[in-house]
Amino acid sequence: MAASVRHLLKPWTPSLCLVRWSRYNSYYLDPDPSKDARVPDSELSPEQKELQELKTVRRIKAALSSDTSSPFSDPLMSKFINMMMQDGSKILARGIMTQPREEIECSPHSVFQQALENCKPIIGLASVQKGGKSYQVPVPLTDNRRGFLAMKWMITECRDNKHRRTHMYEKLSQELLAAFANEGNVVKRKHDLHRMAEANRAYAHYRWW
Amino acid sequence: SSTDGPKSAHFDICSKNLKYKFSENAFNTNILKRHSGQYYTLPPTHIQKLFPYGLPPRFQLQIKTFNEGCVMVRPPALELISYLKRADYSKPPLRYVLYGDIGTGKTMSLCHALHYCYSQGWLIVHVPDAHLWVKNCKELLPSSSRPSRFDQPIQASQWLKNFKITNERFLSKVQLERYVWTKRESTEKGQPLGELIDQGVNRMKSSSDVVGAVLRELRLQAGGATEGEGAFKLAVAVDGVNALWGKTSLKKEDRTMCEPEELTLIHNLRKMMKNNWSGGAILTALSQTGSVFKPRSAYLPSELLGEEGFDNMEPFVPVSVSNYNEKEFESCYLYYLDRNWLQHPHSRSEEGKKELIFLSNKNPSILERLCAFL
Repeated sequence: MAASVRHLLKPWTPSLCLVRWSRYNSYYLDPDPSKDARVPDSELSPEQKELQELKTVRRIKAALSSDTSSPFSDPLMSKFINMMMQDGSKILARGIMTQPREEIECSPHSVFQQALENCKPIIGLASVQKGGKSYQVPVPLTDNRRGFLAMKWMITECRDNKHRRTHMYEKLSQELLAAFANEGNVVKRKHDLHRMAEANRAYAHYRWW
Repeated sequence: SSTDGPKSAHFDICSKNLKYKFSENAFNTNILKRHSGQYYTLPPTHIQKLFPYGLPPRFQLQIKTFNEGCVMVRPPALELISYLKRADYSKPPLRYVLYGDIGTGKTMSLCHALHYCYSQGWLIVHVPDAHLWVKNCKELLPSSSRPSRFDQPIQASQWLKNFKITNERFLSKVQLERYVWTKRESTEKGQPLGELIDQGVNRMKSSSDVVGAVLRELRLQAGGATEGEGAFKLAVAVDGVNALWGKTSLKKEDRTMCEPEELTLIHNLRKMMKNNWSGGAILTALSQTGSVFKPRSAYLPSELLGEEGFDNMEPFVPVSVSNYNEKEFESCYLYYLDRNWLQHPHSRSEEGKKELIFLSNKNPSILERLCAFL
């Protein structure tokens, strides 16, 4: 029993390491760079006090170089920039991302969030094989998946469907503004997905999860 | 001012102090040291005439967004204007050199002083960026008049067009000399300046020589007539003076590097920089951003001008331009708030302001870029 507990507590790496999995053991906690993490003990409830104590004792993962403690940073924006990045040039991706924020004059922050909200699909399609034939079955999506799909569609739309000579930030800003007003290609794609799901709703019973 | 609560009273007072709408008459007398840190608006007619090309590109975008051009009054510009007020114009012109680190506002101060000259009725010779004449030229023709020189017709004709827009009221000036362009074309003695400029704009081949002729005429005439209609003062404003004495990135046809003296435009501009004429002032600003083959950390006149440039420009009056101080930063921040430029809710708080100070180090251009996407 002691040996197994010690085995858990020791930081170990799995012998089989896949590319996109984290190299960290689940023992490690995520870092919290926000300034609100420092709150005096009297204001915390007993559960939060426990959590604080846990944080002082347990190992914590190293923070990424793109994490900031300033409220100017936006986790949604960081995710979007990471998705847009190619060959690891974060500087270029961030530069491209800041320019539509300059183009969009009125509150670019809330416009960006609202536009991505408008692009999120509510229901998705999954391929289920039954009786030798595969059917597209309407399936609920998790929040993470919805957000990911919205951002993915936005980026692919901007990369593929626009005129060759326009810059990425121009295309992005046009698409974001259109999505904010519920028009444009990305929102159309979301509506297409919804229609397909609606059409295939007879197969909904093929879902067993 | 759209903020509510206890801040609004403070805010209203600040915004009243922030902006002056200057009328043309009031301009020369009202600019004083106590206005330092406050903004004044450039009248839109003046912007169109005087600065179709002369302002920094980001400032032009800002004018388009805010629908008005507001310039902050800062000590270097005030210093320049006070020198211009007190100078004696019967003597050779004084050379003023604005120098400073990147993004501190040299071009803006130059434009501010130039606007003062324009409102006083001077004749403006403004080269917005001398670096543009020294690199990236698509056409480099051998000169028609002198065998060892090279012409840049596109740049020259562009400059002549802009000169015409800026100095329209001076176009009926009488010239002195007779200029021969080709066997069949020549401009006679006593013709107005406007015709000379039209000649240059229409015939691209001889436009660089026309530029030289125009500059020569202005030099001869600036101090000439004393009173009455013919009197005018000449303001020569060159941004990026270090281009005149540095290296070029242009190549001749046999792939050797071109020297600055071999370019007609540069040669004529250098003659303008010498103080063998009278009745005006030479305002210049150094610039590292457009310069060719210079390290990024160089900003002092001796480094950027080089030995040759320094010897040619000496004696000059150096005016140093630095980052914003506390009061100017306050003023800029309040201006952006007033214009609803800072949209992010955190940037309106005290902590956000401290963060902006930290990130930009009170450098005007960096602050502007930061606030652009907030």
